[in-house]
Amino acid sequence: MATETVEPSTRNTAPRAPMSPAKDGIYEKEKEKTLAATVRPAHQRAVNPFVITQRSEEKQLGVSAKGLRLSDLVLIKTLGTGTFARVWLARLKGEEERKNKVFALKVLRKADVIKLKQVEHVRNERKTLAAVAGHPFITTLIASFTDEQSLYMLLDYCPGGEIFSYLRRARRFNEYTSIFYAAEITMTIEFLHDVHGVAYRDLKPENILLDADGHLRLVDFGFAKQVGNRETYTLCGTPEYLAPEVIHNSGHGLAVDWWALGILIYEFLVGQPPFWDQNPMRIYEQIVEGHVRFPHSMAPAARDIVSALCKTNPSERLGHISGGSARVKAHAFFNSVNWDDLYYRRIKGPIIPRVDHPADTGNFEEYPDPPDPSSQTPYTEDLKRKYEPLFNDF
Amino acid sequence: MADNSNSSFPGTNPFLHTDFSTSIKGDAHSSPFQKIEEEDEFEVTSPTDATFKRSNAGDNSTGGGVFFKGDAFGGGSGGGGGGGGNGNHSLFSRSPFDQSPNEGSPSEPSRPTGAAAGQGFPNNYALGRRTSVSAESLNPTSAGSDSWTPPFHVKSEEQLSRLKTAVSSNFLFAHLDDEQFKTVLDALVEKPIPAKDIKVITQGDAGDFFYIVEDGHFDIYIHPSGAAQPGPDGLGNKVSTIAPGGSFGELALMYNAPRAATVISVDPKSTLWALDRVTFRRILMDSAFQRRRMYEAFLEEVPLLASLKPYERSKIADALDTIKFAAGATIITEGDPGDAFYLLEAGEADAVKEGVDRPVKSYRRGDYFGELALLDDKPRAASIVAKTEVKVARLGRDGFKRLLGPVEEIMRRAEYEKPE
Repeated sequence: MATETVEPSTRNTAPRAPMSPAKDGIYEKEKEKTLAATVRPAHQRAVNPFVITQRSEEKQLGVSAKGLRLSDLVLIKTLGTGTFARVWLARLKGEEERKNKVFALKVLRKADVIKLKQVEHVRNERKTLAAVAGHPFITTLIASFTDEQSLYMLLDYCPGGEIFSYLRRARRFNEYTSIFYAAEITMTIEFLHDVHGVAYRDLKPENILLDADGHLRLVDFGFAKQVGNRETYTLCGTPEYLAPEVIHNSGHGLAVDWWALGILIYEFLVGQPPFWDQNPMRIYEQIVEGHVRFPHSMAPAARDIVSALCKTNPSERLGHISGGSARVKAHAFFNSVNWDDLYYRRIKGPIIPRVDHPADTGNFEEYPDPPDPSSQTPYTEDLKRKYEPLFNDF
Repeated sequence: MADNSNSSFPGTNPFLHTDFSTSIKGDAHSSPFQKIEEEDEFEVTSPTDATFKRSNAGDNSTGGGVFFKGDAFGGGSGGGGGGGGNGNHSLFSRSPFDQSPNEGSPSEPSRPTGAAAGQGFPNNYALGRRTSVSAESLNPTSAGSDSWTPPFHVKSEEQLSRLKTAVSSNFLFAHLDDEQFKTVLDALVEKPIPAKDIKVITQGDAGDFFYIVEDGHFDIYIHPSGAAQPGPDGLGNKVSTIAPGGSFGELALMYNAPRAATVISVDPKSTLWALDRVTFRRILMDSAFQRRRMYEAFLEEVPLLASLKPYERSKIADALDTIKFAAGATIITEGDPGDAFYLLEAGEADAVKEGVDRPVKSYRRGDYFGELALLDDKPRAASIVAKTEVKVARLGRDGFKRLLGPVEEIMRRAEYEKPE
């Protein structure tokens, strides 16, 4: 059955992991399709972010699905675009009885990834997402696969849309909302840092989605990297959120996420980040100077946590100084937070998105159609020889 | 000479959506707080907006800074008890079952999209979605010198001093130490511009180089579309001219962003000095990496810190500043308030006290001093004088309290003024 979906061209490209012959081919694909189709919805598996690694039933998440093909999926609508990626709402073919079972499919063209020198970053992204799959506040990687031209990551669909859209629309969030979201992000950073030694490196409202229950989901792990206590040097992030040590290229580590949390809390409460200028160089000048100005209406505890997180010297920065994330959670700004309840998602989110059905895309903005493939950078034999082995993990 | 406004482009922000670029001009430096006042009017009307009824996400204009004074659930009265600012009974600990009754009517699910988005916003902050940026990945080689050495292009003393003046006001260069600065200046490569009307950089193109003008003038053009267009007026409007000692293209030292303007030579013959991003960032990285390794190696030898974990030492390494003293210079003065702790990195120093003929203590590499005044908030008990040329690693009061807490007891046990 279904031999026509196994395209000869794609069969040859991805060198497969060693496996028994019986597992190869169609049987494998059917297994992977079943796997994707039966993954429990996010809200049912979010029990405790710190035990997911021990939950055997979640270990099937984040696999490299060598049998899965783009032709197994129906692309419904674009949910977002980046410099070299496009995210689609997608459904498995032949799953008509499960019409509401939808996914987000992130598609990265290999040629673009290479052209923009993001090969290492994309590899880090897949690796990190696979490692953290199942965490209640992080987008779940269900499976990844490749074909001749592109890399694919099949993710949970998060129907609430971007926090960015809610924030811009509301202009700013009130204290309660800001504290709630900041607290969920704090727990997520804590998890990434303490459990995986991963620096996320691109915190901003655009990368935070709202799930159906009004809880946050961190997405886009394109710059996430396992650094542990080491230093890394590649400048990456979003101009307004870059930490001073990233701008100075003096080596950066996990502490950049705490800096960005300070910027995020400020942007939640004020409606725009503390350092801004039309000219990006002037933004960087302000960042390294590190002087944050607060509107007079901002509460003392909020000012204090932003000041403590936005210390230009990482060795003085809250979250990075002794006590680590526990010190952040103990800050007066979070006094009203019951971390245990938050941890187990016992509290309803402050904004409940309107989701008419599981495949509702009404909370996402409209994006233009993808450009004609013939106008895009081709993935030449030359590039393929040089880079294909680097994409083997997918 | 180096007019600051010449060193950057006042024009289109490459991160901006084009539809904002015309409306935000000229107001980029105004205080953000004015903007917030301005939109208060907007907030009065927003809750009545039918498409965003549940604007609990919006500021409830509590103003007074009392946490949770406004009900985050958009008027649900049942939350009042929890939101009364009582720290023991937090909103967060309400069970979901308590919530549902009063959640029902006021909390219609929200849509973040729709026609009203953007209405009433002050238009000087760019509200568009922000693009991530990334530079080439650089990895320090632990092997050291064999793999990469910074380029070296010979310059006269006079040229060096002019180049130094040209970039010294630029914040990317301002924090470099003498050694880094010299390496960066040495790496600058001469780029003669042999004619008038040569496009050095083109708006919208990829940018890899930063330029300093040695002689000649250069005109800056900005096209409102964000990129230079073909045709006679394709460069857009002339916004400024750069004179000798000026510089342009500095964003290219950070990452590859599209050029924000076109720059064209005005004189028949000009000279530029160019620096590429990878070289610049590599120099910064290597020097940071070497400094860190040096400190970590040094701190490992310091007996006082032997009980610390490697990552604790590495945090101390981050917080240290190197200061040099000439032989005979006073590092600490008896009687002064204590504001820093010192580790002796190189050279020798003596502790001397008023009224005592010979040094009360001598220090060499790996020794430390200055802790007494910090431990007990007392004035300096002795002066420390450099016996040879001395290099010390300085740790300020805050860093001392924060990072050296674990070894405080050891420091208190150290004995002084005991004849050896």
